[in-house]
Amino acid sequence: MPPAEILIDGLVQSCIYITMAFGMVLVFSILGILNWTHGQFYMLGAFVVYYSITAAGIPFPLSLLISGIIIGALGMLVERFVIERLNAPGYGMMYVSVATLALIFFFEGAAGMAFGLMDKGLATVLPGVLNLGSFSVSYQKIAVIIFTLVVMIIMYVVLNRTKVGLAIRAAAQESVAASLYGISVKRVSLLVMGIGCALAAMAGAIMAPVYTINPFMGRIPMIFSLLAIIIGGLGSLTGAIVGGIILGFLNSVIAYYVSYLSEFVLFMLVIIILLVRPQGLFGAPIK
Amino acid sequence: MKKWYNILAILLTMVIVVGIVATGCAKTGPPQPTGPIIIKLGASVPFSGPAAPWQLAGDPPWKEFLKMFNEEGFQVNGKTYNFESIEVDDQNTPEGGTAAAKQLIFGDGCKFIAGHWTWNFPAVAAVTNPAKVILMTRTGNEAVPASWGGLYDPQTMPYVVFGNPSHEQFTSDCLAIVDAYPNYQRLGIMDSTQGMGAGWAKVDSDLDKAGVRYHHEWFPPGTTDFTPFISRYKDAGCDIVYVAGWISETWALAKQRWQMGLKDMKVGHSGPFVDIGMYKAIVGADAAQGMIGQYWANWDFKKTKVNPKYVAMCQQVQQNIFAETGKFPYTGWIGWGPSHLLILVQAMQKAGTVDDTDAIMQAIRGGTFDTTTGTWTMSGAQTYGSPIVFGTPSALCTIQGDKEVYLSEHPMQPLP
Repeated sequence: MPPAEILIDGLVQSCIYITMAFGMVLVFSILGILNWTHGQFYMLGAFVVYYSITAAGIPFPLSLLISGIIIGALGMLVERFVIERLNAPGYGMMYVSVATLALIFFFEGAAGMAFGLMDKGLATVLPGVLNLGSFSVSYQKIAVIIFTLVVMIIMYVVLNRTKVGLAIRAAAQESVAASLYGISVKRVSLLVMGIGCALAAMAGAIMAPVYTINPFMGRIPMIFSLLAIIIGGLGSLTGAIVGGIILGFLNSVIAYYVSYLSEFVLFMLVIIILLVRPQGLFGAPIK
Repeated sequence: MKKWYNILAILLTMVIVVGIVATGCAKTGPPQPTGPIIIKLGASVPFSGPAAPWQLAGDPPWKEFLKMFNEEGFQVNGKTYNFESIEVDDQNTPEGGTAAAKQLIFGDGCKFIAGHWTWNFPAVAAVTNPAKVILMTRTGNEAVPASWGGLYDPQTMPYVVFGNPSHEQFTSDCLAIVDAYPNYQRLGIMDSTQGMGAGWAKVDSDLDKAGVRYHHEWFPPGTTDFTPFISRYKDAGCDIVYVAGWISETWALAKQRWQMGLKDMKVGHSGPFVDIGMYKAIVGADAAQGMIGQYWANWDFKKTKVNPKYVAMCQQVQQNIFAETGKFPYTGWIGWGPSHLLILVQAMQKAGTVDDTDAIMQAIRGGTFDTTTGTWTMSGAQTYGSPIVFGTPSALCTIQGDKEVYLSEHPMQPLP
């Protein structure tokens, strides 16, 4: 059994992947695309919260919300002016993929020019450590866990108990039928892109005090979130959560046991999982 | 009409004669230079990428030092010379290093590249050696990934000089830490898997010989979560961890060990502190206290003697930068550009030439040089195949409040 601090670390890692993967799956369900820029929205969210706190003096919880709103709006702009235009007849998936890949370097370059390449940190936010006997947990990590729980509950309520959620689910299941019932799939797509990007941004924002902030911080979480949704089953929200939990824990536990060989072992396991169950744990069987 | 032809012929003859005479005079009596002769000194350095914080922090004081140095200049064969520094961003990538070296040599006409310190040395050397350009860099080449150009070879890289030892300094740093904390339990050492290789094997072997208790961990490049590694250090009984990686990894490790409640675990790194304020902001004001870093403030050295003239120059530079910016610059610059420059100048004076790089290299091999980091004799004839490795004081400091405070020093022994 790994020590408690490793299990807590695994839980924290899982929280990031869950929040990010959830947003990615939402976007995939409605728009049918994998948004490769998701990691850069995570990074921009961290920068927004950093400047909200250090430059404007806005409290951390409010900065989190601001980060979600601003980056969510940016995501909607990307959907409206890039994805929607390229996801049209005559173009298609490949064009959208290339465009969102290009946006990775655009956003990283823009962030580098605007905010600089030097690392930044928010060590002053929620400082302190909770001593639990044989191990300790920082308040920053506790905040990540609580935040993820709250976000997941909100997302559950929105998707299952509201008209907007019903529209999203309907558009995800059968967009043509949904539009026949008066649901504007175009508007739903825009909204879902906003929610997905806001989730990524808030994941970056909540992690900002835990790690350092720089223009390239979104790359690794993006890769792991993508793996989480592939393991969980592309298009399954439950799969995104379970995939995120599996990957987060595996990442920490394997690194604890095998040190620098962790990535080798982890990705080998991912390949084995996919070979045994190509559709992922909660995905529909591949025909 | 004939008369006009004659006049024209006479005028043309006069123009030709005057032209020939003027040209002859120009050849026999060149105008004397009114000031020092300028030598272009190239610098292939990282203004972007993960190594940029150190370069950006060290650049203004280095330029200030060069300005002061040029006020006096230096003499070779009765002529006075100055250096003009030309810097090109090499991004600390092999491609960037190659491009920067080509620009400096073929674009700007540099015969010397100094102050180089990043990992792309083989890529830079691949351009400098065929051009017979002297490259002043640092060791650590054993750690350079093969895909980046491979190891140092005295046969194919005869114009490379290691003005700074790197892995040798890691060893001396570890010994300096042990000197400072003799009651340590176990020293943790950490580097990226990119650094695995003969260089670290030598460090481990030297630490074994010195009886140092240590535990080595490697992390995959791009790691941001160091919790599993910190737990492994804790399990191995390490109470000090020395990071031989980039600054971001040290920040992450120092911060995360604090978040895990391991407040007694000391953290140090192989570079000097760039800016204490930055460490406090990123790591946390409390967590940054006691962090260990390299220290190049030569006026505080206890075991290494430095020429008072150079100490005074370095202190003056610090004062000048403080007067301009209101902040003292970090001291890391003292150990690189100025030291390389002084080795080069003294080798030129010994060789009696500023052009013949073969003669200058001959003066460098096995030579003794007086620099801002002390007086050292080039060593490493057996280890590297050529005596071209300078020494290092391996002085360390810790963060106390807002200041760097001298901790310990373990001057490097000459290499076999």
